[in-house]
Amino acid sequence: MDDYAIGVLTNIALFSFIALSAYLLLIAGEMSFGQQAFFGVGAYAGGILTTLYAWPLPLAALAAMALGAVAQFLVALPTLRLRGLHFAMATLAAAEMARILFELMHWRREIDGELAGPDGTQGFRGIRWIFEHGIEPLHYLGIVGVLLALVLALFLMIERSKLGATLRGVGLDPELAASVGIDVQRIKLGVAAAAGALAALGGVLYAHHNTYIEPRNFDIMLGVHSLAYALIGGLGTAFGPLLGVLLDIGTLESTRVFHGYRMIVFGGLVALVLVYRPRGLLDERTVQWLRQRFS
Amino acid sequence: MAKAALLLIVLALPLLAQAQTPEAQLRCESTGQDFVYDCTLMLTRFGRPLEGAQVTVGADMPSMPMAHSVRPARARPGLKPGEYKARLDLEMLGEWAIKLRLDGPVRDLLVLHYEFDSKGAMPRKR
Repeated sequence: MDDYAIGVLTNIALFSFIALSAYLLLIAGEMSFGQQAFFGVGAYAGGILTTLYAWPLPLAALAAMALGAVAQFLVALPTLRLRGLHFAMATLAAAEMARILFELMHWRREIDGELAGPDGTQGFRGIRWIFEHGIEPLHYLGIVGVLLALVLALFLMIERSKLGATLRGVGLDPELAASVGIDVQRIKLGVAAAAGALAALGGVLYAHHNTYIEPRNFDIMLGVHSLAYALIGGLGTAFGPLLGVLLDIGTLESTRVFHGYRMIVFGGLVALVLVYRPRGLLDERTVQWLRQRFS
Repeated sequence: MAKAALLLIVLALPLLAQAQTPEAQLRCESTGQDFVYDCTLMLTRFGRPLEGAQVTVGADMPSMPMAHSVRPARARPGLKPGEYKARLDLEMLGEWAIKLRLDGPVRDLLVLHYEFDSKGAMPRKR
């Protein structure tokens, strides 16, 4: 496999984490335009821990996930009182605040004779754990792929459990769910924390793949894409967001059929899917039909 | 013997204090074809030209990470020491993070930020 194919597959896998985090909130009935903030929290936290404090990457990833979960929980506490578009706007505002905080963050130390660490708008260079441990791009793709497979397996397990049914119930009709004794607020806060942890895991993996991050990596475009992938792919199964990423990055981007006009095609695709299939290509009805056909 | 070793260490200290990470300077000119640039790269380490490196040049857009992958180009050695040449086929004008993957005498990954216009590229100013 050449470097380009490895790069595209790694990007697909990395995007899938943030798309799955947006999907998790969507099935709980909330549309977030702010998942890029927690992706950024994971990227900065993981990078700081491995680069400035020499933590091993797995431990740094766990810490970054915990921080992402806490960060999104804290954002969700006040914003989950809002509904629909108001919640979406509040998450976007929180994400922009996070991006500005990244721009203001200067946390540098001398490592091996060179200054390293976040330097505001200049970004954070030299996140070299992968490089220093001799992990080749193909091996890193394997690591990211295995982690994504584990996350997917966890999603599929949850979706077939009582918790999965509760989540969908809360997402489809929170009032009805509350009337049968489900603590809707508690479920949504838990979902928000899990989505934050998942986005942060994607962020820490992205930072170490790229070796460089900057605040602009975590702006609105990333949030819009993560949401669009979940909406295009479908809300019937966790494979939906992956299908969305594959359609955009795997087909439109890697074939480069449309060159610079790809974003116009992608925008059109989002509009068409939202009009004709508001819950995505793999919506609940399609997934049910596929299950009946193949079981 | 011990004094000689100490002297060597003292003399080597300024060298050790210098950045070990190679430094790179990029100059790109448009080929006349949309978004295609011929780039010349100068690599130095410890202030001296870095020769014999295998350099792969890739690019990504900072404002939309992961979504605009550019097929990495293998750079070929130029005429001067430390000089390498590569052709970049970008997707659009604007700011790109140029990623240099070095193998050979030095293994590293450098990221440079350049603003590409219809004529060529300039380092990004903040």
